[in-house]
Amino acid sequence: MDSFNATLRWLLARSENLLALLLFSMFASFLLQILFRRVLGWSVGWTVEWVTIAWLWGILFGFAFVVRPEDVIRLDIVYVALPRWGRRMADIVTGLICAALFAYTLPASWDFITFMGREKTAFMRWPFDLVFSVYIAFAVSVIVQSLLTAWRAALGHETPHDTALTPETHDYD
Amino acid sequence: MTDPFVLAIILIAILSLGGLTVGLAVMCGSFLYMILKGYDPSLATESMLQGLFNGYTLLAIPLFILAADIMNIGSLSDRLMRFAQALVGRFRGGLGYVDIVASVIFSGMSGSAVADAVGMGRITINMMMKSGKYSASYAAAIVAATATIGPIIPPSIPMVLYALISDTSIGYLFAAGVVPGVLMALAMAVVNYIQAVRRDYPIDDSVPLRELPKLTVQALPALMMPVILLGGIYGGVMSPTEAAAVAALYALAVSVFLYRSVSLAQFYTALLNSARSTAAVGVLVAGALTFDYVIAREHIAVSISGWINGMELGQFGFLIVVNLLLLGLGCILDAGAILLIVVPLLVPAAAALGVDLVHFGVIVVVNAMIGLITPPYGLLLFITANITKEPVSRIVMDIMPFLISLIVSLGIITFWPDMVLWLPRLLGYEG
Repeated sequence: MDSFNATLRWLLARSENLLALLLFSMFASFLLQILFRRVLGWSVGWTVEWVTIAWLWGILFGFAFVVRPEDVIRLDIVYVALPRWGRRMADIVTGLICAALFAYTLPASWDFITFMGREKTAFMRWPFDLVFSVYIAFAVSVIVQSLLTAWRAALGHETPHDTALTPETHDYD
Repeated sequence: MTDPFVLAIILIAILSLGGLTVGLAVMCGSFLYMILKGYDPSLATESMLQGLFNGYTLLAIPLFILAADIMNIGSLSDRLMRFAQALVGRFRGGLGYVDIVASVIFSGMSGSAVADAVGMGRITINMMMKSGKYSASYAAAIVAATATIGPIIPPSIPMVLYALISDTSIGYLFAAGVVPGVLMALAMAVVNYIQAVRRDYPIDDSVPLRELPKLTVQALPALMMPVILLGGIYGGVMSPTEAAAVAALYALAVSVFLYRSVSLAQFYTALLNSARSTAAVGVLVAGALTFDYVIAREHIAVSISGWINGMELGQFGFLIVVNLLLLGLGCILDAGAILLIVVPLLVPAAAALGVDLVHFGVIVVVNAMIGLITPPYGLLLFITANITKEPVSRIVMDIMPFLISLIVSLGIITFWPDMVLWLPRLLGYEG
């Protein structure tokens, strides 16, 4: 179990590295784009394409594997006011509904994404199924996490998710 | 509105109140709608993926977040603070004015109210508490209240979100925020003046005037940021999205080369934190994009416009209803959720009534920002409570006068479109 947890932690740390790298690559591509377009007067297309892919991947991959429960936006005024058993019930209900809806729609989304394999992006010529495949990872992660939340609640554990009030969380508002 | 749509809305409400992330709750609602209607649910997924992939202007969001995070780890904020102190610290209740001036300057560099509160705000609160002459709850209240200016004066992440859903120009929206932001600052300065006299706040030990030139020079690289950003955008040199990247680069360059205050490890942490925040708000954007498809399928714009027209409110009546609605929702909803989920329903009605959409954007963003300081769910209240370790209830008492001044400002902003649109028109906006 310990080695399993250690592996999990190692994987989490690597996904954090990857996510930070995605943002850095986005930042760097933008700077290159400004240099090429505005300073040198060349036309570039791949930078625009890469930054949008990095944005799409950063969101879905980041939410699936890196974002902590306290980072996200929720409307928890009712939830936190509930008694302990009420919160557990809420966790079970929301967890199961969310897992069910994502699982039910997954095959159709899968079909759409594989179908998109016949189209390629404009500049880098990447097949769209590759670009959009991150949605599958996102959906599977949402299903697994929702089921875990429901399972933990059924066993009597609470999923702690207080809103984080430390610097650099929620700094988009 | 059909039954599946109503059921989808109910599901979104139940899941959100049950503690699920709002973004996921909205996706679930959209999926339920598609299933009940017998549509292919992948159309909602497609709407999300294509929307994110083609949402080039949204890329300003991660970059503005990164710029603010870099400024907060570097000593940029400290230097601005000392400059503001030399400028306005010599009056009664001086640290209050220092906070207001610092917020206005910081607003010109960051697009986020929360970044403002945790960056500049933390420093002001520490200064006010160290002086021992201000109550901790007053320090928390003024910092939370002035942080709302952050996204009104450009750059502004909430305005980028609004531009996405309303199809208006980010450049003109940014310009339209300048005068209202200054108006809000002035209104809060009046409150600080009244409170300082009433509570007999001290005249702080001020920085001698002869040090002002030196402090100005030290703060100059930071003060230049808004000039570079806005000059670049309105001079046509760069797009607002590219300006966000330049802002991050500039903050990094100033912090590393001039102030020598950012290590590689800190830069990595800033990257990771910004990426996390981006993913958190991005999932809400993704949810809004799936819901977008539902809204289009249901012809919601038509039914809401019809409904609003049926009430025969007229432009100003409609705007009053919008203000009351958004102020109410602001008590319980996050600003991002208001802008991405509620405002898309209002924009078509506003357009139908002939309300200028740039003006409307400023109104809704100001509303969303006031929502950040209204209890029970006011993110800025929680943040300043966390910094000062004061109970939220006491901060709420002290924030009331500021809240009133902000609502008065909102009234002026709502009913004086020419004031809001003055600067955009000067820059060529035809509206």
